[in-house]
Amino acid sequence: MALDRVSFNYNGIKAVDELSLEVPGGISFGLLGPNGAGKTTLIRLMVGLLRPRTGSIQILGKAPSRKTAHLIGYMPQLHSLYSELSVWHNVDFFAQIYGMRDKHRREQQIEEVIRLVDLWPRRKDPVLSLSGGMKQRVSLACAIVHKPPLLFLDEPTVGLDPELRVTFWDYFTALTQQGATLIISSHTMDDAAHCHRLAFMRQGKVIAQGSPDELRQATGRPEATLEDAFLYFIHRDEGNA
Amino acid sequence: MLSSTLSIAMREMPSHAFTIAGRIVRQLIRDRRTMAMIVVVPLVVMSLIGLSFPEEGVLDFIAPALLATLALFFSFLLTGISFLRERSQGTMERLMASPLSRLDIVVGYLFGFFIFALTQTLIIVLFTIYVLGVNYYGDLWQIFIFQIVVITGAVNLGIFISTFARNEFQMVQFIPLIIIPQVFLCGVIWPVEQMPDYLQWLSAVLPLTYAVDGLRDIMLLGRNLIDVGSELVVLIGFAAVTSILAAITLRRGAAS
Repeated sequence: MALDRVSFNYNGIKAVDELSLEVPGGISFGLLGPNGAGKTTLIRLMVGLLRPRTGSIQILGKAPSRKTAHLIGYMPQLHSLYSELSVWHNVDFFAQIYGMRDKHRREQQIEEVIRLVDLWPRRKDPVLSLSGGMKQRVSLACAIVHKPPLLFLDEPTVGLDPELRVTFWDYFTALTQQGATLIISSHTMDDAAHCHRLAFMRQGKVIAQGSPDELRQATGRPEATLEDAFLYFIHRDEGNA
Repeated sequence: MLSSTLSIAMREMPSHAFTIAGRIVRQLIRDRRTMAMIVVVPLVVMSLIGLSFPEEGVLDFIAPALLATLALFFSFLLTGISFLRERSQGTMERLMASPLSRLDIVVGYLFGFFIFALTQTLIIVLFTIYVLGVNYYGDLWQIFIFQIVVITGAVNLGIFISTFARNEFQMVQFIPLIIIPQVFLCGVIWPVEQMPDYLQWLSAVLPLTYAVDGLRDIMLLGRNLIDVGSELVVLIGFAAVTSILAAITLRRGAAS
């Protein structure tokens, strides 16, 4: 997937500013930046919820539209679930709207993803009876049930305890091993370290991209952490401005 | 021109409407209190009117009007709140990023609410006939078709109005603004002809006036859908206008 000089404004404020990005297939790609850096806006542009004011976006070779929608999975920042419905019925609903018509295959796949997120014993419970972390897992299950080759996860690890965070990264690694491309936004460097490639974002721009190691080495200090690297690029960006 | 319109229509076919309708039905059925409200409220209202106006004929006169009023009220309010929740809980964003078309969503909501509102209509009709002993002419299927047009307008109005509410409280505040004036001005309780001129003009632009007139003609006078054609045309027009407004405002909340 590729973005070419994409811009988007909210009420005159540049949320995404002449941003170019290329994401190779089969990896996890981290969008890192503070709140308000434009990560969510960028994801909304890529899933086709927003249209760029200028520039172009290509998803698997095509502009995002309803025709490419079945190729992507999207986990928004909110849990975005029907709280009265059970875990099963939530996942089933999203499986159906993503065109999984064959009942037998659909049910197999629903079972597979509910087991993957370790909620099989709770499948009949309404979502409103689940804890925050469990809702997050249902939300992930809804986004991946149709096995999309391209997956957008908007701050998927926010509010998770450290143990569950590790579990989530196990899921993500399993998905990339199956060939999926993951685009994950986050503001924690803990998530960043897990990604194959990263883009540091600030004020609607990408200020640096590369693998976690490359970004660390760019600071010129061997002991630098990703946090150090992020601060280094922010200072450099301020110096340029 | 025609072929391109047709091909757009084909592409926009609401193939997932039943999936959405099924979800709405499941959600409402799970909510026992709302289900009870849909069934019990009309029966209580009908019984109260029957008991408080002992004169013959008052209930006959009011019952058809209540069919339309309650279909409008419940479909409008429940659609509005359901849509508001789609937006506030973020599921709208998921729907909009999915392969669904807007038509899928609107038609799905319509099918879902047809089931509830027509069940309600059936309960009211049976209750008034068998329990309250009111006599009606007119076929049930004609009443149903007429109600489907009323409900279509109400569901679309609910979708449109929900864009102006940020939470359930604000949605409920549209009841005194949109429903109550129609109850007073559209001949539900007293005939429109007895009101001052300027209120009669006002009632002429309110959809419930036509719904009440049409259902009374069908049920009290035994007229058919062709006889009430002019009322039906106005209501179809109302449904068409509200569906355009609903389609335009549908995306809001998913991309803000």
